[in-house]
Amino acid sequence: MAVLLELKGVGKAFGATRVLEHIDLAVEDGEFITILGPSGSGKTTILRMIGGFTQPDQGQILLDGRDIAHDPINRRPFNTVFQDYALFPHMTVAGNVGYGLKVRGTANAVIKQRVGEVLDLVQLGSLAARYPAQLSGGQRQRVALARAIICQPRLILLDEPLAALDVELRKQMQEFLKDIHREIKTTFLFVTHDQEEAIAMADRICVMNYGKILQLGSPTEVYYRPHSEFVARFFGDNNLIEGVAGDRGSVATPIGTLPCAADGTEPAAGAKAFAVIRPEAIRIGNEPGANTVVAGQVSSVNFGGAATVAVVDVAGVPLRVKLPSRAEGLPLKVGDRVQLAWRTEDCRLVAA
Amino acid sequence: MTAKPIEADRIWRGIALLAAYGLPIFFILLPLCGFLVYSLFWVEGTELHYELTLVNYRRFFTDEIYVPVLRQTVVLCLEVAGLCIAFGYPVAYFLSGLKGRKKYTLLMLLLVPLLMSYIIKMYAIRSILGGNGFLNRSLIALGIIDQPLTFFVFNLNAVLLTLSVLLLPFAILPIFLSLERIPKNLLEASADLGGSNAQSFFRVILPLSLPGVISAATFVFVLAIGDFLTPQMVGGQSGFTFGRIIYSQFGTAFNWPFGSALSVILAAVVIVAILVGARFGGEKAGVHR
Repeated sequence: MAVLLELKGVGKAFGATRVLEHIDLAVEDGEFITILGPSGSGKTTILRMIGGFTQPDQGQILLDGRDIAHDPINRRPFNTVFQDYALFPHMTVAGNVGYGLKVRGTANAVIKQRVGEVLDLVQLGSLAARYPAQLSGGQRQRVALARAIICQPRLILLDEPLAALDVELRKQMQEFLKDIHREIKTTFLFVTHDQEEAIAMADRICVMNYGKILQLGSPTEVYYRPHSEFVARFFGDNNLIEGVAGDRGSVATPIGTLPCAADGTEPAAGAKAFAVIRPEAIRIGNEPGANTVVAGQVSSVNFGGAATVAVVDVAGVPLRVKLPSRAEGLPLKVGDRVQLAWRTEDCRLVAA
Repeated sequence: MTAKPIEADRIWRGIALLAAYGLPIFFILLPLCGFLVYSLFWVEGTELHYELTLVNYRRFFTDEIYVPVLRQTVVLCLEVAGLCIAFGYPVAYFLSGLKGRKKYTLLMLLLVPLLMSYIIKMYAIRSILGGNGFLNRSLIALGIIDQPLTFFVFNLNAVLLTLSVLLLPFAILPIFLSLERIPKNLLEASADLGGSNAQSFFRVILPLSLPGVISAATFVFVLAIGDFLTPQMVGGQSGFTFGRIIYSQFGTAFNWPFGSALSVILAAVVIVAILVGARFGGEKAGVHR
């Protein structure tokens, strides 16, 4: 894929607080890239710099090889879906959606036709004459999206657009945004603090914290192969077992020396490290194909819908094991002695 | 035991209700009704007749002085409102663009004149506008004119300028508040969609600040039309307004019933102005709800 937009050495400070440290990021043409991080990680600042709402102190933002970091907002071929939508309250849905064409001096007949097309695309055709105050949250969201895509921007910036919606609606909108992305084939840059949302939507996830990019990769990569303790902890309920790194990706822990999959990002031998094992990668009982087997005692079993989570105490280290639930219940009781097994490639090593 | 606090509660609520409704009724509505009743009496020489009649209203509509003066006064006050908006809007816009403490310090400075005595301000303006006043002398000193100009000396123009200067803070404040209420991200959205600064102003800021402009205009108009002191002091012989006529009916002419009738008519004009303002302002503001 061709690179659409490239951030090179971008840094930003607000007063004495450094919010971004030397960010390098290439956005590929047509992809759905998500910047994921907790609040204060600098993710929104990146989006606002690309949109032109703030300027970087250092570095370049390259579009077609030209630095646009200090171009005015209205000269950039990008459009934004704002967190609280920022719809114009005095304009109808059609007025809001057509605004970008209107200010470009497009003929009214063309605007009308394009607004119709885009509203049909976001399934709001029948609400063109309504005002934003007369719409539900999900509808406003779609108006904001329609308004951002009508000018056919090179890149659409989405600043936590689903944060204000309730869970059910958020799931629907995630699907909907993905559909629209497939349909119009424009590059989407999506900012969120919700890791499930990032996993569900993105082609690539860029995990950030403290103004730095910690890991960039596909959802499966950042989910299964974290490169740092932060990423390992950020994606759900990973088991992190503290120890000291040994040779060739192994780690000495209180439950024994565990072999881990190495991909060149693990800490040097002798450094403090964590063995990271996803709870769903652990099997009960010694299964064929498993390379690591430990023994422990069940300390709790919690039914959680589709999955049941058992906590097994292995030599004082609690390990979470996630198993598919069954109607008749799992054959596990608190106090049972069990064997836990996993494959070497499911165990990752990160620096502590 | 439990009944007592509830009983006390009810008494307090009754007192609060009485205050909420009683005060406006006693101090605003009843005096107004007094005017209404008084306007239906009539005067012969110096004698007041307590008989109900419409003769005062008939006089207003048939005499060739009053309706034209009212019309002239309404036009004057509309001009005052227009001037206040024209000068107040840029000031309010500039203010709302400032940041932090500077904004509110400057706003306070602009509102200081409101705390000053009306009479002092009027004398100050008189000494600026007079035939031999500051303005004329400055223009002569600058060599722009040879003789003192008279078009703003003790006439209707002087009233227009003075009222505008006095009432300007009443225009700035509501416009400033309505500009402050516009979320900043709407401007970001406008620029994001390709709008220039001018387009953002005319398509987003101006329409959204219109409720403030309308309430500013209503404010200024209502305050200006009720004023009789300003025309009295800077209006001279030709600067005659409706307020001055009412004043003379209560003062020199000593015809309280006719003065009351004119007051009722003025009150009707004010009420219409407020309703029109509320109608347009509400229509624009209704979009936000």
